[in-house]
Amino acid sequence: MQNTLENPLQHERKLRHLISPHLPIRLSVRQTAPLVLIALLLGLWQLVTALRLYPTFIIPPPVDVLNTLINGLRDGSLLYHASVTISQMLIGLGIGAFVGVTLGYVLGKSALLENVLAPVVLAFQSTPVVAYAPLLVIWFGSGTTSKIIICALIVFFPLMMNTLVGVRSVPGDERDLMRLYAASRWQMFIKLEVPSALPVLLGGLKVSATLAVIGSVVGEFIGANAGLGFLINVSRSQYNTPMVFVCVFILALIARTMYGLISLVEARLLHGRRRTSEQIHV
Amino acid sequence: MRKFKVWILFALLTFGVGSINAQELVEQTLFLTYIPNVQFSPAYVAIEQGYFADSGIRVTIEHGDEPVGLDLIAAGQRQFGIIGGEQVILARANNRPVVFVYEWFQKYPIAVVTTVESGITTPEDLRGQRIGIPGRFGASYTGILALLSAFGMSERDVQLEPIGFNAPEVVCAGGINASTIYVNNEPIIIRERALAGDCGSVNDVNTIPVSQYVDMVSNGMVTNEETIANDPALVRGMVRGWHEGTRVAIRNPASAYLASAAHVEGLIASPEMRAAFETLAAEQDAWLEANPDASREAIAQRRTDSYADLAQRFDPATLLQYAILLETVKLWDADRLGYTDPESWEVTQSVLIDMGILRAPLSDLSSAYSNDFLPE
Repeated sequence: MQNTLENPLQHERKLRHLISPHLPIRLSVRQTAPLVLIALLLGLWQLVTALRLYPTFIIPPPVDVLNTLINGLRDGSLLYHASVTISQMLIGLGIGAFVGVTLGYVLGKSALLENVLAPVVLAFQSTPVVAYAPLLVIWFGSGTTSKIIICALIVFFPLMMNTLVGVRSVPGDERDLMRLYAASRWQMFIKLEVPSALPVLLGGLKVSATLAVIGSVVGEFIGANAGLGFLINVSRSQYNTPMVFVCVFILALIARTMYGLISLVEARLLHGRRRTSEQIHV
Repeated sequence: MRKFKVWILFALLTFGVGSINAQELVEQTLFLTYIPNVQFSPAYVAIEQGYFADSGIRVTIEHGDEPVGLDLIAAGQRQFGIIGGEQVILARANNRPVVFVYEWFQKYPIAVVTTVESGITTPEDLRGQRIGIPGRFGASYTGILALLSAFGMSERDVQLEPIGFNAPEVVCAGGINASTIYVNNEPIIIRERALAGDCGSVNDVNTIPVSQYVDMVSNGMVTNEETIANDPALVRGMVRGWHEGTRVAIRNPASAYLASAAHVEGLIASPEMRAAFETLAAEQDAWLEANPDASREAIAQRRTDSYADLAQRFDPATLLQYAILLETVKLWDADRLGYTDPESWEVTQSVLIDMGILRAPLSDLSSAYSNDFLPE
């Protein structure tokens, strides 16, 4: 009798509890699978170099790349260049996120503004960043400013679009309910629009974080004195392929870390929200 | 029976010769840096006027990044490319079996361009100045450091500013007073903009050519050791084709310009311009035939005159690419085209070591280049 009254979510929780002995194994497989894949790829890489399918200057052996990484970490050059790229990327991401979210919100609230600005923004966004990046380097110099602007421009659009979609996705009946209770504009924003837009917004932020890495490196490729993109350029011109590999791996690691960090934030924020939602429904 | 023999002879002549021709032409991809440009006119001449075909080669051009091209050649995925000499030294130091077989540019093309307004006219004047460079890599970086080193300076005595390949824009915008450039290209562009009043406060520029102070190896044809070992005739054929293309461009630049127009967009602005170039090319051919022993100086004067002649009918903007070709030709011209001087390899290697890019001299620097494939 009690079962019939049980909420489906509570029922699911109970079921999860029942199968909990298997859960650690499932989680463990899920966690280790990427590591196994990485190990397999490393093994394949080692095999390709051991069989000399390609000359070592095209695909250097993993051990050469590892030695280059260790040397670069020891002399501090890798940390220096990585820190330059990361700082440019974070500042660019911050600026781009702020502008993107703000503009996305404004456009989401005003159909007129959207009609006026959207074609321009869309046209600008359709242009590959490498096409206009040289101009930004000319206008803002070869220092960090041009890279920050490139990063900001590249992350701005997905965040703007996601915010716009998020704001528009607020259910009409919930908005009506808030109005019925005479909620202020601020209350509508904080209690309704932000929670509604958050999942889409965080999705955009995840994409933007990886794009920010690209933006920073594109800027460094065009003209820079430091950064991982700069180091790749220099290493290529000096035929130091292992260093190119090292830089590429570090860039991938930075992008993955950023993605992971935002996923953690997302999980925490949305988990809390889900629980709230569960409580409301229960 | 006689009729039968005639038919056999006819068949042999028709199909036999045809198939021999088809078999004789070996497909080759020639790697060039940058983008299709009039500066690569020797390649276009050799293709359009059949100099590669005379050597039994059908050439397709591929453009790309210099380090990528060199790696493709080293890996045997490409067999020939036009690459800088200093790149060959660096590549060999990193186990790439590449060999320089024809020195196309006899003078290192990098220079420092300075605005007249800045008052910088000599290398000593560069001390303490901000100098634009594409980046800390490649021929421009090597060139500026070699120039500074020749005057007892180093990178610490100046402020190098990476600006990408945007020197004309940055100089005209007043961002910097000096920049490394290709002597045959950017100074002409800046002057042309200044003349049109489209270069900010800049009225004219000075150039300080690196080659005036340091003799370094410049661009040339590069192949790999495997091709040299297995098919020296192919190497000789490619070198001969390029050599003839270069020779024609030096002796008859109008003809080279027309050949380039088949590969480079926008070189011929109008039918009148094409007609003018065709006339010029025909006249120069006739002159060369009448003067088979013409000196380099006499031919150089004819080049200058050809521009003056065209300038009476077309504006400088229309003739910009021809002006670039004429400036570039000066960097190729020499008593013995294609010859690479061992001394310049030693100098280049020393510069690379001084720069800290090359850790130690190559164990056998002479293996990096060869004059064995030059035409007689």
